Amino acid sequence: MASDPKGSQLRRILLIFFSLSIILPLSSPSPTMHNNNWAVLVCTSRFWFNYRHMANTLSLYRTVKRLGIPDERIILMLADDMACNARNNYPAQVFNNENHQLNLYGDNVEVDYRGYEVTVENFLRVLTGRHEASVPRSKRLLSDEGSHILLYMTGHGGNEFLKFQDTEELQSHDLADAVKQMKEKNRFKELLIMVDTCQAATLFSQLQSPGVVAIGSSMKGENSYSHHLDPDVGVSVVDRFTFYTLAFFERLDMYSNASLNSLFTSYDPTLLMSTAYYRTDLYERPLNMVPVTNFFGSVMKTIPTDSAYPGFLVAHASEYATISAETETARVVLEDEADHSKTYDQSEKGLQHILDEWLKLLEGKLGVKDPEVLVAYGLGSMVLLLTISTWLSS
Amino acid sequence: MEVAEVEAEVEKKATATRSRLIVRLAALLVSHSTLVSVVCCLAGLIALLVLPLLAKNTYISENALLPGSANPVLSYQHVTQANNLIMDIMSIADVKEAPDIEIPKLIAKYMEILGAETYHHKFSQPQNQFHPLYFFSSSPNSPPTLANLSYGTSTVGIIRAPRGDGKEAIVLVSPYNTQNAGGIDASASASSIGLAFSVFSLLSRATWLAKDIIWVASDSRFGDHTSVSAWLNDYHNPNFIGDASSNRIFKRAGTMACGIVFKVVEKERREKYEDRDVVTMYAEASNGQMPNLDLLNVVHYLAVHRQGIRVRIGMFGGLVKSHLVRVLGEVMQQVGRFARSLNPDWRFEMPSSEYVEGTATLASSIYSQALGVPTGPHGAFRDYQVDAVTLELSPRFSLKNEHTRLAFLLKGGRLIEGTVRSVNNLLEKFHQSFFLYFLTAPNKFVSVGVYMIPFAFLVAPLPIIAASLFNLTSNRNPWRWLHTAKPLLITHTWSVVVTLLPFYISKISDLPSTHCMLTWAGGSLMALVILYIVFGSPYSKHVEWRLLKAVMIASVSIGLCLMSIINFATAQIGALFVVPMCLFALPIRVKTNNSLIRSMVMTCNLVMAVLGFPVTAVALMQGVIKGFGTVSILEFWDSMKFLWGWNSATYLYLVLVHLPCWLLFLHILFHPCH
Repeated sequence: MASDPKGSQLRRILLIFFSLSIILPLSSPSPTMHNNNWAVLVCTSRFWFNYRHMANTLSLYRTVKRLGIPDERIILMLADDMACNARNNYPAQVFNNENHQLNLYGDNVEVDYRGYEVTVENFLRVLTGRHEASVPRSKRLLSDEGSHILLYMTGHGGNEFLKFQDTEELQSHDLADAVKQMKEKNRFKELLIMVDTCQAATLFSQLQSPGVVAIGSSMKGENSYSHHLDPDVGVSVVDRFTFYTLAFFERLDMYSNASLNSLFTSYDPTLLMSTAYYRTDLYERPLNMVPVTNFFGSVMKTIPTDSAYPGFLVAHASEYATISAETETARVVLEDEADHSKTYDQSEKGLQHILDEWLKLLEGKLGVKDPEVLVAYGLGSMVLLLTISTWLSS
Repeated sequence: MEVAEVEAEVEKKATATRSRLIVRLAALLVSHSTLVSVVCCLAGLIALLVLPLLAKNTYISENALLPGSANPVLSYQHVTQANNLIMDIMSIADVKEAPDIEIPKLIAKYMEILGAETYHHKFSQPQNQFHPLYFFSSSPNSPPTLANLSYGTSTVGIIRAPRGDGKEAIVLVSPYNTQNAGGIDASASASSIGLAFSVFSLLSRATWLAKDIIWVASDSRFGDHTSVSAWLNDYHNPNFIGDASSNRIFKRAGTMACGIVFKVVEKERREKYEDRDVVTMYAEASNGQMPNLDLLNVVHYLAVHRQGIRVRIGMFGGLVKSHLVRVLGEVMQQVGRFARSLNPDWRFEMPSSEYVEGTATLASSIYSQALGVPTGPHGAFRDYQVDAVTLELSPRFSLKNEHTRLAFLLKGGRLIEGTVRSVNNLLEKFHQSFFLYFLTAPNKFVSVGVYMIPFAFLVAPLPIIAASLFNLTSNRNPWRWLHTAKPLLITHTWSVVVTLLPFYISKISDLPSTHCMLTWAGGSLMALVILYIVFGSPYSKHVEWRLLKAVMIASVSIGLCLMSIINFATAQIGALFVVPMCLFALPIRVKTNNSLIRSMVMTCNLVMAVLGFPVTAVALMQGVIKGFGTVSILEFWDSMKFLWGWNSATYLYLVLVHLPCWLLFLHILFHPCH
């Protein structure tokens, strides 16, 4: 089982061994702390009758902002501007509910990619970070190996594709490829993909990168439906999946520790009129141990730096300081997780030590020019490998 | 070496037979031409009769339309304002001496109160002339001559969409006859203006407009169509020459997305009792063109599912009562039931009453398209490729009562508001749904893919018969048909002369139509005689009747196929007359063995010789549809005048395809058979 941390650890060691017998050794990647959060929110469809897709995205934008992701870490892509559409009965306002209590298009909405800028190319550039030099920082996803990223997409989709604008489509292998590149470039620690389209589950069928958890509004062959129609505006204003996601988050604030599992199991297929499908086989942590704020909120730790003003040095603690006392409760789950990984490390220590010694020896001998010696050591390592693997399997 | 040669030969033979497979298939068809033609014709007829069963329910295929998704906001306030306008119009009509000046002024005043841009559009009655070259160009671009003639005045108001780009517009047209202001249906006529005004006043305050709104209160003293077409002509063909001095204001607002013509018609109370308000949709434009089906769908959906108004479309009442159609309906029901008992998935069972109504509606739909004459002012829009529909609203209760009038205006106004809002949502021209269709009910249609089948079956045997006749002739020269091309050429030259004759006849003014008719007939006969004298008799020695028939069939099938592209419905009805003529044609003097068959064929031939004559064919068609009491053969001139007045290609079909076919048929019938 991939979710079993012990098994995966061993497998990683074996992999290292194989690579070592051929080329130079690699050091195992050190697990980085989750230290920042990003969100990429994409509305891919234009035209007035797709009002709800923009409303979906803006609702999510508002939610993640409320839960603590700052604007500079949200990439918001809106393929059309419903607020300024001449058909909008409420100029410059966007609602996601017919009660019109909440204007989603208020003063502090920063749209990073708008209108025809929302293309498959730009979307993939944002994910993979391959921008032209002139693209400003605000339009880039500047995440690192400690980032948790929320990728939310909505629009019209089908079997293994998502339509962008009216002409292009993003296919599931494009998405999988982009995510793989992100993994290679250490652009995320964990990635949550949330898709609200028809047949959404098919979009992430090709994903292979570890650390990714994905949820879609509907299975293959199912449609995702809009939630309700606003008779004043004259269009549907929100999709069902997003509506119930928002309903879930309305009860939460940035300090609550509801788990991803509770979000994923909150979707009722009869209300959704489709089956929300989530994929966790690439994800290591158990879902009920992961708070939703890990993706929809922001980490509460600040990294103190030396003061910008010389002569104003303050002796600060060498450890990270928590921002406020209230966060302690919220962090319980996370700390638990950190403890777990520590214990794993200890139990593995003995075996790892022997291996490291052998590797060092091997490394030294690889410099030897004599091919016979190399072959002998190679065979030796094979035998060692065999014995270890038989021992492990028993 | 010898073996190799033999092998090569065998191979050659094999390839020859293989490559000739299609030829052999064709030869097989040709050799069984009689059977094939009988089967095809029967199949065609049956396919035509089952069309009502194959009709599908309409659906809205354009996503952007979103009909009925917004609540209508037309309120009693708007309607009461409109009622004031109606009262003012009625009082002017009763009191003032010149309603044709006062009423446009009044409407313009009301428009200006709403903040709309207003102007008057003056137009004169067009000369109903025969333009042989204008059949396919929509607008005879004659300069307006307002000097001495009486002219009509339409009032036009434009609301600019507050946040729209001003590139598109929706046109509302409400015809109003100022000449008949004090007439019988004056209140209904004024109500059309009131209805338009109520919607217009709502739209002048609407924040959701993306397209400008143009309201044309058209003066229908020369007919509803004239004023609209004159206005559209001026809208699309700006006149830059010599108009600077005569300060004619003409304002425009973008390309037209859609035109909605509506008028209130109060039916006679003695007619059938209605339990609901009724809206009748007219959609047929010139030469069988139809507006996009989505437009009709939107109106139908909003009327039925939102406002509870009954929707009607044109239907031949006579066919509903016809016993023949009723029997057919019963047969269809039984067949459907039987088919269903065989396989429960075959669900084309239809109650006979529904079949009868479907047939009557379908017949009306085909006939209106075949005639090629628009059924209302919307036809003028279609000439500029704008989708438009005419809605005739008839109230359930009398409009003289103020309360029922207000309620009716509210209902009708909300229907139009909904349609405007739906079209306002459009992002492109109407293009998603069908343009080629027949209607069998307001919410049922037969699409082009289905209705072409009967025509294809009817036309398919023609080339086969022509080929088999060509093979049967005694002369083996491959160019033998050239001799028969001469009579064909003479006939077609004659038909061109016949086509153009009315142009000269209509130049002679003040001739009663019977005289015109006789002049036309006489002129045509004379032309035929002259042509024969010049080019010689069609019965020369080389002209075999079989070859003549083959050539005639070839020319007719070309004519039919061409016509089916221009106006399918005309070709469909025409095929019903022409194809039997082509198949049955047989000289009287020809000798056959079986006397029974010969006498049957001869009877058919003689009947067809009479019925196939365009004059009687037209009379027959009109008799079937409108009842035989009203038809007289002498009205042919008037109906032809009607056709060319509307630039209908049906006239060209009748004279250039049908008439030569009939003449050649007579030639074959009286062939000497030497």
